Amino acid sequence: MADQNSTVAGQAGLAEHDGGTAPGADAAVAAAGSAQEATGRRGPKLGAVGWLRWGWRQLTSMRTALVLLFLLALASIPGSVLPQQGIDPAAVSQYYAAHPTLAPLLAKLSLFDVFGAPWFAAIYLLLFTSLAGCVLPRAYRFARGVRQPPPRAPRYLGRLPQTAQFTVAMPADQALASATAVLRRRRFRLRSDDGWTAGEKGYLHEFGNLLFHVALLGLLASVALGGLFGYKGNRLLIDGQTFANTPTALDVFRPGRLVAPSDLQPFTVTLNRFTASYVMSGPQRGEPLSFNGAVSYTSRPGGPSRTYNLQVNHPLNVDGVQVFLIGHGYAPVIKVTDGTGQVSFDQPVPFIPIEQSGLSSAGVIKVPDASPQQLGFAGIFLPTAIDVNGRLASAFPAAIYPRLSLVAYAGNLGLNNGVPQSVYSLVTRQMHKLPVAPRPLAPGQSITLPHGLGKLTFVGYRQWMSLAITYDPGQLPALLSALTALAGLILSFLIRRRRMFIRVTGDGSGGSVVAVGGLTRSDAAGGFEVEFAELTEEIRTALQASQPNSGRPAGDEAAVAQAQGE
Amino acid sequence: MTGLKRSARGAARPATAVRAVLAASVLFAVAACSGGAIAANNQLSSGQSFVEGSYSSTFYQPGSRPQAPAVTGKTLTGQRFSLAAQRGHVVVLNFWGSWCAPCRQEAPRLAALSRHFQGADVRFFGVDIRDSVPTAQAFDQTFGITYPSINDPADEVALAFHSTLPPDGIPSTLVIDRSGRIAARVVGEVSYSGLQALIDQVLAGKS
Repeated sequence: MADQNSTVAGQAGLAEHDGGTAPGADAAVAAAGSAQEATGRRGPKLGAVGWLRWGWRQLTSMRTALVLLFLLALASIPGSVLPQQGIDPAAVSQYYAAHPTLAPLLAKLSLFDVFGAPWFAAIYLLLFTSLAGCVLPRAYRFARGVRQPPPRAPRYLGRLPQTAQFTVAMPADQALASATAVLRRRRFRLRSDDGWTAGEKGYLHEFGNLLFHVALLGLLASVALGGLFGYKGNRLLIDGQTFANTPTALDVFRPGRLVAPSDLQPFTVTLNRFTASYVMSGPQRGEPLSFNGAVSYTSRPGGPSRTYNLQVNHPLNVDGVQVFLIGHGYAPVIKVTDGTGQVSFDQPVPFIPIEQSGLSSAGVIKVPDASPQQLGFAGIFLPTAIDVNGRLASAFPAAIYPRLSLVAYAGNLGLNNGVPQSVYSLVTRQMHKLPVAPRPLAPGQSITLPHGLGKLTFVGYRQWMSLAITYDPGQLPALLSALTALAGLILSFLIRRRRMFIRVTGDGSGGSVVAVGGLTRSDAAGGFEVEFAELTEEIRTALQASQPNSGRPAGDEAAVAQAQGE
Repeated sequence: MTGLKRSARGAARPATAVRAVLAASVLFAVAACSGGAIAANNQLSSGQSFVEGSYSSTFYQPGSRPQAPAVTGKTLTGQRFSLAAQRGHVVVLNFWGSWCAPCRQEAPRLAALSRHFQGADVRFFGVDIRDSVPTAQAFDQTFGITYPSINDPADEVALAFHSTLPPDGIPSTLVIDRSGRIAARVVGEVSYSGLQALIDQVLAGKS
C-alpha cells in the first residue's frame, strides 16, 4: 500500500508543488489553504512555529508560485509599454519632455526602471524563494529515490496490475534462481529473500527528475550570478569620440550588487564613423535600411586596436561584455562666443529624435560659462527641413537639408548650486527668453544675441550612436541549466520506472508455482503490458529450458499467462 | 509574456505546470539580465544623464595605500602631464566636467583650496571629462581656477586607475602622497574643510 502511495506521488511529479515536505496531516493543513480554516479548527492552536510552517507551505505551494508568476508577467508589462532608462534613456527623456507632470510621478513608481524596481524585485524574490522551497526538498527526495533498493515483493502478486502464473517441474529454489537470472540479465536492480525476488528498472526516470530539479536550481543560481556580478550601462557616442568602460564614462551605469568599479572590463571603443542608409523612394521611403557603426576598440589600455562593424543585433563582444547598438541620432556642433568675445562653448551636442520618420530631434545647449550671463538654448534639428503650412518639419531621416531652429535664453541655468539636472532639459525658471528671429540656421550660420550677450554658430553636425553595454556572467550557465532541465524532463517522460516481482512456491510434488507480478510507477508513454508479457515469456522459456527432463510437457500445459490490464 | 499564457493554462495539468515552472525560470533569467541592480545608481529620479558620485570620503593609512598608476596626458593648454613626475609632492587630482552641477558647486572651494595651499608642497590637477577644450577653459575662467587640468576625452585617466581606485562618479577627488600612493579619496563634491583636513593629514605624513 505504501508502495501505491509513492506511485501516486511519483506520477504527480511537479504538479503537487510541495508534496515532498508535506506528508500526512501537515499536508492536510496546507491543502485547507486558508487561514480561517486553519485557525477555525478546534484543538491545538498554531504557535509561532506553526504559523511560520504554514506561511512557508503557502509560499512554496504551486498556487502561490503561479500567482507570483502571473504577477511577474503583469509587472513587466509597463516595461514594454513605457520607455526604460536601462534600454533607451533617450526615449525616457523624450517622455519627460512630452509628459512633464506625469513623468516624475511614473519615475517615483520606478516605472521607467521596471526591472530594477523594488516592487518588481519583491515579486521575483518571492517567486525565487517559492521555487527554491519547492525544488530543494524535491531534489533531495529524488536523490534518495535514485539509490533506493526495490521494495519487498507483495504477498499476493495477483493484486498487481500485471500478473501471470504458471507451474514448472523443478524445485522452488532452483526455479527462483533461474527466474532471477533472467531479471539480472535484463539489468533489473534486484532484491531477494526467501521465496521471492523483487526487481526494479528505469531509475533513469528518477535520475531525469533529479537532473531537472538540480538544473532548475542551477538556473536560479545562474540568475542570481547575473544579478550579483553582472552590470549594464549605456553610452551615447558621437562620431570621432572614444569612451572607456568605466563608471564615469557611462551615461547610465547599473552594477550588480557585488560589482565594484574595478570589476569593469577595461576596454575602450572609438566610433570612427556611423552610417545609416534609408529607402530613398517608394512607399517605404524613409524606412531605415541599415545602420553601421564602424568602431575600433582595445580590450585593455595599451592593447592592440581592432576594428568592428557594429550593427543592430550584431553586438561587439569584448571579454564577455556585449556592446549593442541601440539607437542613433544627430549632434549639431555648436560654438558660442559670449559677450566678452571669449569662446565659452564649442562642441557637438547630442539631440534626441522626437519622431522616427524624419528624425526631427530635440536638444538643449547650456553655456554655463558664458559671460556676462549664462546662456541656454532649446532647439530642434531637422535633417531634411521642409515647410508644412508655415511649420517646420523633417521629410527624411538623412541629413539632406539640415536646419537648426533655436530658442535662446539668458539668466541662471541653475547648474551652479550643485543640484544635478538632465543634460537634455533646460530649466528656464530663472532665465528669460531672448528676442531672436526664429529663422532656422543652416550649417555655418550664426545668430547674434541681443544686449551684447554674444553669438551662436551652428558649425555643422555629427552623427551619434547609443550603446547598451551588458555583462551577464549568468547567461551561459543559465542556458546550460535550461538545456539540462529540458534533457532531464525528456528523460523522465520517456523512461518509466517499473518493478517485477517473482514468487515461487513448491507445489508439494517436486514442481513449483511461479507467480510473476509487474507494476510501473509512471507509464506516461504506455506499453508496459507488452514489456511485462515479453519478460514473463522469457522467464517461462528460461525455466522450461533448465527443467531436469525437458521432454515432459507438463509445464507448458499448466502455464496460464493472464496478462490482465487494470 | 509567454510565461503569462503558460502559467494561466498550467494550473490544470501537471505536464503544463512543469513547463510553467520552466517558463518562470526563463522569465527570471530575462528579468535578472535587466534587473540585477536593485540599489544601483538610480539616474532616473533626477533624470540626468551621467553617473553622479554620491558623497563619501576615505582616508587610507600609510600601510594600506594603493599605488597610483602611471598617468600621462595633455593639459587644456597643451602641456604634457605625467603623474610620475609629481613624485615627492602631494597631489590633489580632481575629476570634473563643466556640465556637471556638483562639479560647478565644488569648483570655488577647489580654487580657494589651491590658493590656500600655495607655497605648501601640494600640487592641484584637474581631469576634465567629456568637455571640449574651449568649454573647459571657459569653466576654469569662470571659477578662477589656475591649476592645470588634463583634457581626457577618451577616459584614459579614469581607465588608468582601473585596477586601483577608478572614480565611481563625477566629481571625484584623489589625494596622492609624496611616494605616489593614493592617500585619500572623496566621491561626490568636496567640502572646503573636509578636503583641507585630508590634505593636511597627508602633508603631515612622513612618507
